[in-house]
Amino acid sequence: MAFFEQEIHDAPTTFLSKYVFSFDHKVIAKQFLWYGIAFLGIGGMMALLIRWTLAFPGEPFPVIGHILFPGNGGVVPPDTYAMLFTLHGTIMIFFAITPILIGAFGNYCIPLMIGARDMVFPTLNMLSFWLAMLSAVLLLASLFTPLGGAAGGWTSYPTLSTLIGSAGIGQTLWCLSLFVLGVSSTMGAVNYIATIITLRAPGMGYFDMPLTIWGLWLTAILNAIFLPVLGAGLLLLTFDRVFGTTFFLAGAAATSGSGDPVLFQHVFWIFGHPEVYILILPAWGIVSDLLSFFARKPAFGAKATALSMTAITILSTLVYGHHMYSTQMSPLLTQSFMMLTMTISIPSAVFFANWLGTLWKGSIRFDTPMLFSLGVVFVFGLGGLTGLYLATVSTDLYLHDTYFVVGHFHYTMAASVLLGGFAGTYFWFPKMFGRMMNERLGKIHFWISMVGLNGIFMGMMVIGHAGMHRRIYNPFVYEFLQNLIPLNMFITISALTMGAAQIVFVYNFIHSMYKGPIASQNPWEVGTLEWTIPSPAPHYNFKDIPVVRCGPHEYGNPNLVGKDFQYQTEELVKA
Amino acid sequence: MALTEARNALKSNDGDKIIGSVAMSVTLVSFGMLFLTLMMAFALYRFTAPVWPPAGMERPSLLIPSISTFLIALSSYIFINFQKNIEKGTADKRSLLFVLILGLGFMASQFMFWNQLKSHGIYASSGIFPSIIYSFTWIHAAHIVAALGLMAWLYGSLNTPDKLTAVKVSSIGKFWHFLGIVWLIMFVTIFVL
Amino acid sequence: MNLLLNLFMKHFVTSADAASNVGFWEAMKPPIDISTNGHLIDSLFMLTTWLILFFFFFVCLGLFGFSYLYSKKRNKKPFYTHGTSRKHIAIVAGIGALVFIMVDMQITTISNRDFVNVFLNYPKEDQDIVRVQVLGQQWAWNFRYAGKDGVFNTEDDVVTLNDLRLPVNKPVIFQITSKDVIHSLYFPNARLKVDAMPGRISRMWYELTKTGLYDIACAEMCGTYHYRMQAKLTVYTQTEYDAWLNEMQDRADFTTEKDKADLYWGWKWLADTK
Repeated sequence: MAFFEQEIHDAPTTFLSKYVFSFDHKVIAKQFLWYGIAFLGIGGMMALLIRWTLAFPGEPFPVIGHILFPGNGGVVPPDTYAMLFTLHGTIMIFFAITPILIGAFGNYCIPLMIGARDMVFPTLNMLSFWLAMLSAVLLLASLFTPLGGAAGGWTSYPTLSTLIGSAGIGQTLWCLSLFVLGVSSTMGAVNYIATIITLRAPGMGYFDMPLTIWGLWLTAILNAIFLPVLGAGLLLLTFDRVFGTTFFLAGAAATSGSGDPVLFQHVFWIFGHPEVYILILPAWGIVSDLLSFFARKPAFGAKATALSMTAITILSTLVYGHHMYSTQMSPLLTQSFMMLTMTISIPSAVFFANWLGTLWKGSIRFDTPMLFSLGVVFVFGLGGLTGLYLATVSTDLYLHDTYFVVGHFHYTMAASVLLGGFAGTYFWFPKMFGRMMNERLGKIHFWISMVGLNGIFMGMMVIGHAGMHRRIYNPFVYEFLQNLIPLNMFITISALTMGAAQIVFVYNFIHSMYKGPIASQNPWEVGTLEWTIPSPAPHYNFKDIPVVRCGPHEYGNPNLVGKDFQYQTEELVKA
Repeated sequence: MALTEARNALKSNDGDKIIGSVAMSVTLVSFGMLFLTLMMAFALYRFTAPVWPPAGMERPSLLIPSISTFLIALSSYIFINFQKNIEKGTADKRSLLFVLILGLGFMASQFMFWNQLKSHGIYASSGIFPSIIYSFTWIHAAHIVAALGLMAWLYGSLNTPDKLTAVKVSSIGKFWHFLGIVWLIMFVTIFVL
Repeated sequence: MNLLLNLFMKHFVTSADAASNVGFWEAMKPPIDISTNGHLIDSLFMLTTWLILFFFFFVCLGLFGFSYLYSKKRNKKPFYTHGTSRKHIAIVAGIGALVFIMVDMQITTISNRDFVNVFLNYPKEDQDIVRVQVLGQQWAWNFRYAGKDGVFNTEDDVVTLNDLRLPVNKPVIFQITSKDVIHSLYFPNARLKVDAMPGRISRMWYELTKTGLYDIACAEMCGTYHYRMQAKLTVYTQTEYDAWLNEMQDRADFTTEKDKADLYWGWKWLADTK
């Protein structure tokens, strides 16, 4: 229930107040979207450099290799390789997926879908974006320091990430950059939570919210609770590096220490496991909605879906230990973490069943957003199920730190989230820019991406099962990995294919922004609140705050006349 | 009509207070998790160490930390009175000034404490116990500085009170009491026990 | 494209030579299992795979089947249901329970059994076992055998660099630590790995079944030359091993520089605390 009505502000007039330092949640969302897409490009390029090195060791990277690494004949040097995979992980998680899924869709969808005129704290929202910008500057600046950027993996375990393992200011800047980003995300999270609690349109109970909002809300809650945990870890690590404290130093290397490097792993994964769900929950929410919108029937068991997402949110805080089996925690802890991890599959199975139940006896329209949503069901099925190998401790003893893990978490965190993000982009593009994206190019983009990413990540799981461990510059110095050269080449070629498909997307996105056909108010015939206002949305969103009278998924009601869906502002037609 | 009724109800409803309290609660949960993580780290070091304080270390004298505790507790108490007066409608600027001075006194006592440690040859790099003492007090002090900044801003804005003043006072008050509680927990666990 | 094709051909041909006549499916298999317990991990992996494929088959059946049957063209009128009837809830809950009972309970039970009964069930100290201390450092593995006196960290210890030799058919216990950053001692052929952490001693045990020369790797990112932190494992028959160890022990008496403090990175063997 809403507690008050925000006033309609005057439209901003100057360029600066309209496009740069804007308070408008829709502009901030677009800023986050561009920010995320730019970093997606950088992170993707890094991935290609990594893949090239693994498939063709010692061969110069085509075209840009000689520009980037002139001292090494165009070949990626080993220290740069370490930097590349570190920053690939950091950038993709914190600077690409977080801004797109949470920054862009969170900002865009929350006020529009709950019927508010803006976020509850517009200034905080703007500040959140510009802090994220500062964080990006810090991270990119670290690349130009004398010893280069961070190179200890995105997890940056001490003691490798202390001065013992990585000298130079790059790693310190990495810590600071993530700390600033954490502050920015926490600000965003406070804003999202408060907005959803206090600004829902009159009549909208929690279960009348679209599932997208459920996903974003749970994400924001996890962010607000667990980002400070990472923040504390990063602060201690920074103190170790700058002020010579000894939190994470131990053994022979610590002259005065009785610290403990494993503590950082605990802190990191207490944050890190919820982080996985922070990234995937918005995508789950978007997919749960889109499946219903395009199958033209109500979301099957929407309440159960929302509740199982909540259950997973809670469970996600209790299972982090499965990342640390190889550190030999006490057996009791290991066993408890294994059991707890397994319980996650119950709520997961519930919403998978609900997703398929939504499709069952629908009247499915295969528009691009729907294709991407179906893609998420497929890849998340694979990603989620392969997690079982890593949850059982004995198989994890073998698979831990191999490419199997890499394949698994890319399926869940990269493939599903990326496809979910694309689904959302294609879906809300008309509302954002007032024009439609090209359907044919969208479908080409989908199919090539789908083939590419399954090639990459399935391939990774196969080579991981064959024993190839992570983060190695040249796997083929090992005799037992030499069989895997052809497979590694296959993965790299899949990656290049996937990269090429994104050019189609970028072209489609930019071209449609200016030249796409003008979108109607409600091109997808969907009943949630954002489709009751013109496209693109005016700066005040709703002239009159809407009053909500039915749920977000009212499709295919046989008693409807003239159309097959209901707006949330309409009284529910009895079936 | 129900529609206009619902909209009118919206207009008449003053939501600032609820928003303020929701947002501040979430913020405090965030800050709480930050300090909770630090306390977890402390507990881990404390309970895995064979002897505590670690060999060759002495406990710092309790005098200055006790003074800090007294200052911050007193300031919290005065703030509660100040808030009561604000809710009654009197802009009690003198109390707030007193809280500010006590806060600055707390910071001064922290600096004295750090100087005292240094004069005993105990630096942040002298081992895990000094690492904990310095880092945790630094992080706490940084929050105190931020809170004092907020209070100075509040002091300025009391000249032109509006309907948001009460929300500001209660939010900043919550933050200040929270920092007081954190200090108390740190004082008891790190210095006394 | 041409460039890619050339590269592909070039590497494919050379690699095909190197991995002489390894078939397509053969290349995807894990390295040969040389330990008594590696098959536990392999078989659990296979079991999990079959269970997963079973459920993923149904996911695909729903996904592709419903997409085919209920496309807009084929099914103009959707079935109006919120999936909240008692029957629907029961089906969904049933699926959840089925996954938990059929997959999770099974593999958790098996994994837990193996973990407790085998991987944590260290051989008794009074048994005839081989004891090795391992020290990881950037970027090499140091191995230490107790030498003639049977006591670790003494002058007559046999210390090797990146060269681990073990007898076949005899339990081996490792105690592992690290000098600088975190490493992870990884035996792909025994399906085991454990982290080597500064300030802590971790343990691992296995028994080998096949003689030969195998790879040892570091599985935890440990710096620029992480990929080169490679050691060799030589598995001998008991007689070969005894001969090698004797020779090494004799040599240790003469050649090691006994006053070098660096040499004494070992520690007193920690007896089984369980």
